[in-house]
Amino acid sequence: MKKTKYIILGCVLVMSLTSCKKWLDVNTDPDNPNNQSVLIQNRVPWIQHFYQYTAGVTNYRTACQAGVYYSNSGTQNTFTTTWQCSSSNSTTPYQTWFVEVSSNIVDLYNSAQAKGAYQYMAISDVFSALGYMEMLDLYGEMPYTQAGTGNPSPAPDDGKTIYNGCMAKLNEAIGLFNKTQEVGAPALSSGDLWNGGDVSKWIKLCWGLKARYMLKLSKKADLFNADSILYCLSQGPQSNADNTVGPGFNNSTVTDYLEGDPVVTNGNFDYAAYGNAIRISQYYYNLLTNMNGSGVIDPRMSKIVPASMANVQLNSSGQVSSYTWNRSIGVDSYDSATRLVAGGPTSIQTATYATTNVSKTYTISDATALANFIAAQVAVGRSYTTTGNTVTIIYPAGSIYINSSNYIYAGDTVYVNMRSSAIATSGNPNQPQNDVNWYPSVDAYNAGVIGSTGSYQVRPISDQEILTYDEMCFIKAEVEMRKGDPADAYTAYIAGIQAHMDMMQAKLAEWQGAGFDKNAAGVTIPDMEPMNQTDINTYLTSSAVAQGPGTLTMSDIMLQKYIAMGCSIENYNDMRRFDFSAGDVGGFGVVYPGYQRGPLFTGQAQLTGSSPNDPRYWMRRWMLPPTYEINYNSIHTLALNPHAADPNIWSMPVWWDCATDAQYYGYLAK
Amino acid sequence: MRKLVTALLVLLLLQLSQTTFAQERVINGIVLSEDNTPVVGASVLIKGKTSGTQTQTDGKFTITASPGDILIVSAVGFTNREIKVGNSSTISTTLQRTEGQLGEVVVTALGIKKQQRSLGYSVTQLNANELMKNKNTNIINSLAGKVPGVNITQYSGSPGAGASITLRGGTSTSEGRQNQPLFVVDGIIYDNSTTVTGNTGTDGLSRSNTTYSDRVMDINPEDIESLSVLKGAAAAALYGSRAADGVVLITTKQGQEGRTIVNFNSKISSSWADKLPQVQTEFGPGSYSSNGVLNTDGVYNSWGPKIPADSTIYDNIGNFFRHGAIYDNNVNVSGGSKNGSFFLSGSNFKQKGIVPGTDYDKTTFRFNGDQKYGGLTLNANVAYSVANTDRTLTTAGLYGSGVGSMQALYGWPTTYNIKNYINPDGSQNRIYAGTLALEDDIDNPYWIINEDNLTSKTNRFTGGINGNYKITNWWDITGRVGYDQYTTNDYTYIAPGSALAPLYQNGRLSKDMVDYTYITTTVMTNFHKSFGNFDTHLLLGTTSEDFNTVNQNLWGYTFSTPGTISFNNIENTNKFFTDATTRRRLVGAYGEVGVSYKDLVYLTATGRNDWSSTLPIANRSYFYPSVSGSFIFSQLLHPSKILTYGKLRASWARVGKDANPYATNTYENPPISIGSYIGVGNQYYSGNPILIPEIQSSWEVGGAFRFLNDRIGLDYTYYHNETKNQIGQPRLAQSGGFIFSTLNSGSVINNGMEIALTGKVVSQKDFSWNAMLNFSYNRGRLGAFIPGVSYFYPTDAQFGTIKAASIPNGGYFAGMTGQSYLRAVDANGKTIANGAYQIDTKTGLYKINPAVLVVGNREPGYIGGFENTLRYKAFTLSFLLDIRIGGDVFNGTESALVSNGLSKKTLLNDRQSVTLNGVSSQTGSDTTVTYNANQSYNIGGTTYSGTNLIQQYWSNYAANSYNFITSVNWLKLRSLSLTYDFSGILKNQKVIKGLSATVVGTNLFTWTNYKGMDPEVSAAGGTGGSGSTGIDYLGVPAVASFTFGVNVKF
Repeated sequence: MKKTKYIILGCVLVMSLTSCKKWLDVNTDPDNPNNQSVLIQNRVPWIQHFYQYTAGVTNYRTACQAGVYYSNSGTQNTFTTTWQCSSSNSTTPYQTWFVEVSSNIVDLYNSAQAKGAYQYMAISDVFSALGYMEMLDLYGEMPYTQAGTGNPSPAPDDGKTIYNGCMAKLNEAIGLFNKTQEVGAPALSSGDLWNGGDVSKWIKLCWGLKARYMLKLSKKADLFNADSILYCLSQGPQSNADNTVGPGFNNSTVTDYLEGDPVVTNGNFDYAAYGNAIRISQYYYNLLTNMNGSGVIDPRMSKIVPASMANVQLNSSGQVSSYTWNRSIGVDSYDSATRLVAGGPTSIQTATYATTNVSKTYTISDATALANFIAAQVAVGRSYTTTGNTVTIIYPAGSIYINSSNYIYAGDTVYVNMRSSAIATSGNPNQPQNDVNWYPSVDAYNAGVIGSTGSYQVRPISDQEILTYDEMCFIKAEVEMRKGDPADAYTAYIAGIQAHMDMMQAKLAEWQGAGFDKNAAGVTIPDMEPMNQTDINTYLTSSAVAQGPGTLTMSDIMLQKYIAMGCSIENYNDMRRFDFSAGDVGGFGVVYPGYQRGPLFTGQAQLTGSSPNDPRYWMRRWMLPPTYEINYNSIHTLALNPHAADPNIWSMPVWWDCATDAQYYGYLAK
Repeated sequence: MRKLVTALLVLLLLQLSQTTFAQERVINGIVLSEDNTPVVGASVLIKGKTSGTQTQTDGKFTITASPGDILIVSAVGFTNREIKVGNSSTISTTLQRTEGQLGEVVVTALGIKKQQRSLGYSVTQLNANELMKNKNTNIINSLAGKVPGVNITQYSGSPGAGASITLRGGTSTSEGRQNQPLFVVDGIIYDNSTTVTGNTGTDGLSRSNTTYSDRVMDINPEDIESLSVLKGAAAAALYGSRAADGVVLITTKQGQEGRTIVNFNSKISSSWADKLPQVQTEFGPGSYSSNGVLNTDGVYNSWGPKIPADSTIYDNIGNFFRHGAIYDNNVNVSGGSKNGSFFLSGSNFKQKGIVPGTDYDKTTFRFNGDQKYGGLTLNANVAYSVANTDRTLTTAGLYGSGVGSMQALYGWPTTYNIKNYINPDGSQNRIYAGTLALEDDIDNPYWIINEDNLTSKTNRFTGGINGNYKITNWWDITGRVGYDQYTTNDYTYIAPGSALAPLYQNGRLSKDMVDYTYITTTVMTNFHKSFGNFDTHLLLGTTSEDFNTVNQNLWGYTFSTPGTISFNNIENTNKFFTDATTRRRLVGAYGEVGVSYKDLVYLTATGRNDWSSTLPIANRSYFYPSVSGSFIFSQLLHPSKILTYGKLRASWARVGKDANPYATNTYENPPISIGSYIGVGNQYYSGNPILIPEIQSSWEVGGAFRFLNDRIGLDYTYYHNETKNQIGQPRLAQSGGFIFSTLNSGSVINNGMEIALTGKVVSQKDFSWNAMLNFSYNRGRLGAFIPGVSYFYPTDAQFGTIKAASIPNGGYFAGMTGQSYLRAVDANGKTIANGAYQIDTKTGLYKINPAVLVVGNREPGYIGGFENTLRYKAFTLSFLLDIRIGGDVFNGTESALVSNGLSKKTLLNDRQSVTLNGVSSQTGSDTTVTYNANQSYNIGGTTYSGTNLIQQYWSNYAANSYNFITSVNWLKLRSLSLTYDFSGILKNQKVIKGLSATVVGTNLFTWTNYKGMDPEVSAAGGTGGSGSTGIDYLGVPAVASFTFGVNVKF
């Protein structure tokens, strides 16, 4: 009897153990798909969006380094003004690429391979190349072969390995794009936000990227191959119709999971025009208003340089009835930088809207400054009263003014910030999707008083240029120049300018058509309308543009490219290839005249070179994110580059910026 | 397993070999203590003979004796008793407890009562009286200072704030991994998590931003009969995967046989902020730009000019806090008959916090009952509770979600009356309206507490049914079904017009529902037999656990019609919804075998195998053994008045932890829609399909000794444990593709010692004085971590300059990293220890070290308690001193005050000058620089005004973490209570059986070298890993209180 009891008990135990195997199978989250179950066609728009996001922050911050923008945010100001490069810049591009994109391209490749979806494998390759080349451009060395796979402590690769890896990915992608997908594999069109599944555009993108990347080798006598680049260009985009752009929308308030920025907007907007800190630099402004000392204003200028309203009169219902446009001037960091020297490198103030008449009293103890200040008021026709060393100004209701009693700041309305609004960022539910202007307050919006019209490339609804025909033309012009063929170079140069203007013109016409050029108060915003054809003709025939192969210089080409690329890492890449304004590359002279350390330079510890001909005089790369890579992965990081954490890592050339491997590995040596 | 079967067979054979003699009779008896609880392991001997037995776990024994024999019943901690065998075959006897003993029978793992002497590990048991001396609605807080090796940290002084408890240090480093012990109430695992709900991006809710409870607070402390703390792995080993952090076993009250008793007690309490931050009142708001121009537009920081003598200064901080109050009422009814008993209780606890608008209200009900049917005993425990917390945001959340009430309060300029927070039209009265955009402004704390609404409500039901069937007198079987279910509803409303990111300025609403369900079943069987001088027992059991948590979050923004605060009043495009289901299941099979020889040597071995759903299928089965033993060496010595009792004990155990649910896969983010496309991508947590369980090996040795006729007791333990293959999701290099990677890596090593000294200083009829002193320390260190990684960050949270972090291979488990000034370097470029600070020639200030350094260890050096109970006639006075020596605390509140110009430190030299002493960062030569307010200085090519440099000096000062770190010692008068027992006066009536009145003061005095508010507070309650204890950052101040209570028994 007792035995029976035990046998029964034993049986119950065994049975319960068997059934418990199934009972325990509850370790799959029922609410979230996992990286095995997600559709491959849904991976691609994610990758495309977050690559745009990575590229946006990179474009913006490198544009600060290249002199396109001025920023009064402490972090980016170290790129625009003091050149005391702050590693706070380093984290976001790295994090957005590695965390938001890199593991997805690995998973996309593997699941596409399993399905025979070759075009999706190719897409994965393209993004691998785009992303890691961008990381190489910034950081020089970081994990590549072991990256993005969940390896908690991946070892880094050197720049040469990463470069060659990216080129190989592009070659593989071209092959895969040309393959017919297996039956059952999803069509490329079902997951392609950028090119709608147009394989030929993707193939042209690959060739165009190859040309862009091969151009990086221009310092390398052994590897630079002009004819190869020309071949790539012949297979790349042949007109604006072949451009690859990431579209920007303003139709959703959904924000992203990591940084909290809108998911549908242009990635450049999320960084360059999201807040109040960013303004056009005097360097860029001068190129747009006085190229080659011509005094001719570029027709693109008023589309790129923002404006605010000035001299506003409100009507009885409190809406704007008359105004003028106050076109921004550039902020000077490199010349005398008078305004910044007086107030400090980050001191440019953001304008406020006067709901009612506002009285401001300024105390100016310095007599010359007092006289200058009064003269400035007279110049703009503003009334004022003085008592001793104080000046009182009344800003009438409707004014855009600087709300500070510091007289040095009072004139900062001349520097209009580049801020635009999206429905996800304005906080004003009444501001419609087709009004992307920045209003300093809800009151300003209700009155129709615009604080900034924004800038062509960095509005929420701007196309994010991934690879465009105008860049191909400028690459061709540069390569032909290097080959000693100014005639072909000139043709390409003019084609590049024309292509860029055509591209802008088409977008501006589209915006006008969608009503972006009017606000609710009935104000017409010319910045959102096409350029005047007469202005274009005048410009193209002026001395701002080289008028024949005989006068064409490398500087002409590169400065036109600089204008066209604007908010793009390629300007920073190009400038490194020409050693900025050192004028020591080939026989091309000073390619970027006027780009120099300014009076507020404090970057001696970061940029240790003492003369412009010393490579280490300039910003040549970024420090890796101090916490997320150097600290967390310090042993591997320092094993490859013992100087990774040195303050002057910022002036160490990356692999492609060195003439030889010996030079590069010399930098990496202990 | 084979060993267990063998043991079973041996037992059976031995039983069969027993013989009986005709002239003797089998006597069944029971040995009870005065409170009718069974005395386990009492020895029953026949006088003059060698035969004898021991009582079982239910106090029963069986012995064969002849009429006229005298049975000697003895048990440690009780006086001996002799009983003459008559004609009856049953004997019931009650033993008197020897006075002043610590309870000798303690509740151990799985609720099994054992003699303290038989244990090879340390268990501390506290009874109801002990716990209620300083009653706290959170039972965890009542343990502070009473149990060596137990570290308690309160989350904050807010009502409803939880507390964290760790036993012998933490064992898991990663955030999201629990280091708090398992709580078991009446045999049922009782969830004690601190659930942080909501969306950190939109609610501003994270652990540091508002008040969170820990769920053990749902227990009514008055219902607790006893509480056992199983600190070591060996003690807890039968709980397998859940045992690595120790176990707290709670037994609730049962009715007693006899007449029905009604107990009523009522307490009223007043509390106040123990200590508030001190601010300067000499300088007003403003700041000086580098060219010396004063800027007061939109500036909250107090770097402005001297406040004119005739101005009104507002004590904003002092005015803000109010007196808190507690109204606490309890009633219980209990009774029983021979075959059954019941206990029924109800309570209400109402607390008004010192921050206006913050409250905590808890109502509980409990029914415990049992009934016997022959050999079958059925027992049911059912409890229901409702807890409501009204809370406030205290500090900044992420992404434009405001700064919170405490952060705003501690930074408010003293020249503005913070009470004027609202305009006649209902909008927020902002100091700098028109100057600061709303999103750049700071919400007034009164706006936050009056206009925003944050509440949390938890309804909890727990129930357990036990059945025990005695098959024979040496074999019983127990079955148990347990159920624990609660629903937490969190509500967050942020009023329109709050200083948030523009998108949220038209109001925001968020609701979170957490539904937690836990079902467990246990079947276990016990065998207990004595053979001559050997006493053996065997236990076999199996258990299953099933957890299911559903968390739903709804949120939205912009109310279309003002005043209607509902999702119905929000456009569909602005409403969001997420769902999270967490499932976890576990099956365990366990066994324990024990043998003892006389009362001299005890040996116990346990084994448990778990199958956990959270691990990969191939790795989900794992086995944990333990062995322990004790040796009562005093039995071998001649009876002595000096050493009356001596025991040595030792144990070794291996336990461990499974993973968190779903850690084996990488999951996707919610889809995003761009144009006509849907995008889906990986979350920033990587899964790991090859996880193995975390393993903790530990050993402990110790002893218990009593001297001078038990007047003095000493208990000592030394332990060592190492937890390997840590499962965690630490922050690692992002080049891996993720922010947090799930992996097995790293180890944590804890060593420590616990000592408890008890004494009956005076023991007379009218006057007695009992004292207990305990001391313990724990040293937690990190072992090896994954190759290539030199920092370990368990959590994302940063407070001021400080992060909870450590370095592998010997770093402090509870380390913190921070910023520091760079010191001088020698000729080889090496930093000179304690060298002078470098003065940066480019900034004119001390140079900040770019490297992140470990700047402190937050683990206390020693903790202890000194408890005294003095009784004089009907008066009882008791007090508890809580002691801590060492352990770093970061005063983040002071750091914030220095940054915003309100710290009294910034009054140095009347802000007319600052002087820096150090070496030049360029030349290395000694440098002294002084900045005077009325001068200008050219530094690195830029001209700075002295006023600006003085201001910068202080932000530079705030950037050095060391300026705010103190190795803290304290001596706290945790509680002081005086009770008068009116029983003596009530002798001549029959209605009232007992009446007493008590006054209690808690936290009345703290002697400490810490200059901040309260060194005990943790900035972010309940984080896993090394948590945020030792970080004092803009929290609600701790409170002191005074309570009056009455206890009546009918």
